[in-house]
Amino acid sequence: MEFLQYFGGVFEPVSFMLLLGGTIGGLILGATPGLSPTMAVALLIPFTFQLEATQGLILLGAAYTATVAGGAVSAILLRIPGAPANIATALDGHEMARQGRGTEALHVSFLASGIGGIVGVLLLIFLTPILAQWALAFGPSHLFWMAILGVTVIGSLDSRSFVKGLLSGCLGLWLSMIGYDDIQGAQRFIFHDSLTGGVNIITALIGIFAIPQVIEMLAKGRVEHKVTSVQVESQSLFTSLKLLGRNVKALSIGTVVGSIIGLIPGVGGQIAGLLAYDQTRKFSKDKDSFGKGNPAGVIAAESANNAMVGPSLVPLLTLSIPGSPTAAVLLGGLLIHGIFPGSDLFDNYPEVAWTFINSMLIGQVLMVIFGIWVARHAARVAHVPPPIMAAAVMVLALFGSYSVQQSMGDVYVMLVLGLSMYLLEKVGFSAAPLVLGLILGPIAEANFIQGSMIANATDGPMVYFMSGTLNLFLVVLVIASIAYSFISTRSANKTGAPA
Amino acid sequence: MSTTADTSRVQHLVPGVIILVLAATVAYLSFTREPADAFLFPRFISSVMLLLAVWNFIRAFLGMARIGDGLSAPVVRNILPGVVIMSVFALFAAKYLGFYLASWFAFLSVYSLYDPASHLNVKTWARRVFVTTAFMAVIYCLFTLLLKVQTPRGLFL
Amino acid sequence: MKKHLMSLALLAASTTLTSVAVQAADFPDRPISMMVSYGAGGATDFQARIVTMMAGGEEFLGQPMVIINKPGAGGRVGWNWFAGEAEADGYTMAAYNIPHFIAQSIEGGVKYSAESFEPIANWGADPAVVVVGADSPYNTIEELIAYAKENPGRVTVSGAGLYVGHHIAALQIQKATDTKLAYIPTKGGGAAAMKAVIGGDVVAGINNLSDAFRAREAGNVKILAVADVQRSEEFLPDVPTMMEAGYEVDNASVNFRGVMVPKGTDPEIIATLAEKVPAMFASDRVSKQMSAGGSPMKIMSREEVQAMWAARQETLAELLAGLK
Repeated sequence: MEFLQYFGGVFEPVSFMLLLGGTIGGLILGATPGLSPTMAVALLIPFTFQLEATQGLILLGAAYTATVAGGAVSAILLRIPGAPANIATALDGHEMARQGRGTEALHVSFLASGIGGIVGVLLLIFLTPILAQWALAFGPSHLFWMAILGVTVIGSLDSRSFVKGLLSGCLGLWLSMIGYDDIQGAQRFIFHDSLTGGVNIITALIGIFAIPQVIEMLAKGRVEHKVTSVQVESQSLFTSLKLLGRNVKALSIGTVVGSIIGLIPGVGGQIAGLLAYDQTRKFSKDKDSFGKGNPAGVIAAESANNAMVGPSLVPLLTLSIPGSPTAAVLLGGLLIHGIFPGSDLFDNYPEVAWTFINSMLIGQVLMVIFGIWVARHAARVAHVPPPIMAAAVMVLALFGSYSVQQSMGDVYVMLVLGLSMYLLEKVGFSAAPLVLGLILGPIAEANFIQGSMIANATDGPMVYFMSGTLNLFLVVLVIASIAYSFISTRSANKTGAPA
Repeated sequence: MSTTADTSRVQHLVPGVIILVLAATVAYLSFTREPADAFLFPRFISSVMLLLAVWNFIRAFLGMARIGDGLSAPVVRNILPGVVIMSVFALFAAKYLGFYLASWFAFLSVYSLYDPASHLNVKTWARRVFVTTAFMAVIYCLFTLLLKVQTPRGLFL
Repeated sequence: MKKHLMSLALLAASTTLTSVAVQAADFPDRPISMMVSYGAGGATDFQARIVTMMAGGEEFLGQPMVIINKPGAGGRVGWNWFAGEAEADGYTMAAYNIPHFIAQSIEGGVKYSAESFEPIANWGADPAVVVVGADSPYNTIEELIAYAKENPGRVTVSGAGLYVGHHIAALQIQKATDTKLAYIPTKGGGAAAMKAVIGGDVVAGINNLSDAFRAREAGNVKILAVADVQRSEEFLPDVPTMMEAGYEVDNASVNFRGVMVPKGTDPEIIATLAEKVPAMFASDRVSKQMSAGGSPMKIMSREEVQAMWAARQETLAELLAGLK
């Protein structure tokens, strides 16, 4: 219970102001399309130069948690996920908003984020030494199987057409291979100079989600819009809490999946939301309600992507290994003050480490409070006339995609992907499997190649990829997931009607 | 949208063919380029993609599973100006006018073209220019002042 | 001679264009961006953010420097962009990593070479070190090499990619000790390569001195040798160099980091930068933060860097030619 004595540090005036500022600023940055948590945290690093170590970390930690949750706002209201972590949130969240349940969706999203986030940080507080060993156990072969497990979800993400869902996933996997290959340096599929750097995931996310949304708004033409595209009616917090209470299963699945994925270095929170969403649907009695505005989808996705934050810091704080790009930036924030994370961090700098971790607990609470306040005012976004909304999202998409790497090439890639996605969606292809392919492709490939190189120098690929408890466990999961999608599609075909 | 079954089938057939050609090209490139190690994964993915593309094409050809709304003539007419504005921005305006001025024009043209209010009223235009300028000012504060993004400059910012 | 003609021509071109001259006089009048061809959070990115933090001070450039990350393919993506698309107006700078970009240009398939860029100044030198996990049976570099000799091709060694400093060091060690190592390039830079060592995925690793020092402080690794001509007195006075252990491995793999501008930048702007940037690197706050982060500094002027580039070009061409 050592951590309890360091709560005082969080409530010192400067620290608390930073926590509040980081949370509010993070929510706003997170809700802006094109600003990922990694970018938000990297942008804040220069500010931390002037601060004390603890204060700097409080600011970075608050911004990290809040940007992850803030991405849900634009995912729900505009169907534009703020970051890869919020893709799954958009699937059901935006449908809820279209049915006039936007406030409810925002409420449950923030509540689920807060609960998941607190559980994640508690895991970090109590189980760090055990979790650290577990994080190290994942080598290239295990990461490869994790990615394949993610790929098996692709087929079941789109309930409308199995073939088109898989084909969308393949297109995503192919897009991820464009550009220089990271290990060999070979040039692959570079049809245009803008593609030498490959397809950046944030750029792709903006194009694939924002541009079809803009075009959709324009498709109605120059007519008087009596009904706005999204309706947000005011909603009491109490009913939202009851709704959360009815979806405890989704909340638990999301939190557990998020915590596990967060721990694994190199997989990152990008897929936590999608995997949790998929698991929740598989365990649900009413599978067909997903994608049509089921709050369980929002709850699972958001609890997962915030639950991942705490455990994702375990490898960083105990082993000095940043498990994700965001953790790498946080490492910089520590190093700048001469603090080297490692197994003795909690002995050498207890007040820095514990105050930082405690501030993340308090930060989650602040985030929920402020998020619910945002939800009350979100109605205003819905009253913006469609022509202004379309123009605003378009300009944000242009600026967002440019600023990821300050490159005009990214703007071209974003527009081409966006236009293609609009047309593909019109004929039944879908965005979520495509993005999942784009995220998983590099993880699967790099770990497969590294694994093969290690295997060739040692006992050969069969032994390397197929032996050991963890490998076998993951292989069984992969087979189960494939078998499940086959059985469920076949039974759906037989009955002819959704079960 | 009342599209006949025939147009809908053509609408699924055309993307089916495009994706088939794309998959075949990707597969061809994957199997002919060197070094082989770097193309191991693309070979596997492109083979699966080609298989799925053929399957998808056959289904489209037989007129099966026509999901999605498809495109209708009024929708195409409605979205065309917006798409043209975005293309003009990307291909010419950003480079010659500068990112901010080009975005300002893009915002104003999309807003004005799709705004149902009368185009002949001075007040409408004043509102349009004001909203556009105000939005661009917010963008300037966020991206240039706060995030220090250096956008391409042309004649103007 | 050719170089002199080139700079004369540039000088002539710049004086005829008065607008350029005006630009140079009040340079810089807006923030300068600096491209780092590795991801946010990597060693290069981290150090770049520290050494540029004083740029806004009036005694230095008077304008902030903003880091832009263009990661991918061991740095090729960023440097290709810098050689091909970056504007030579002095407002676009980039961080260089030697020997990475020179080795890549010798290997081919990229749009740049040492001739494409103009160095401004060097800020750091991070030698490659050989590390093994804390529980590894090998305690000295000799033991590891002896094991590698008995098991050719079976000793896995992780590093940050192909044709980067770590790879060069591995090649030099193979050549000097007449062994065959299984070099495993990782995606995700030095951190991923270090994780492979700590997690026991590989037998040994070659990594940056700064990262290895930190990992050793955390009790995760043992550092067996430094691939440099002298020991690191500041951070690892107890670790021998490869030379001391009797292997002919020089400092060709030392990772030099600094800033450069594209060829064709106004010489007056280059002169301004070459004067002010090293002074900025030398400021007290920068060196304090750098040593707090365990990052070895080595400030070199533009002339020194030019000589260093030329020397590396020669060594690497020879080393990599033997490889093909």
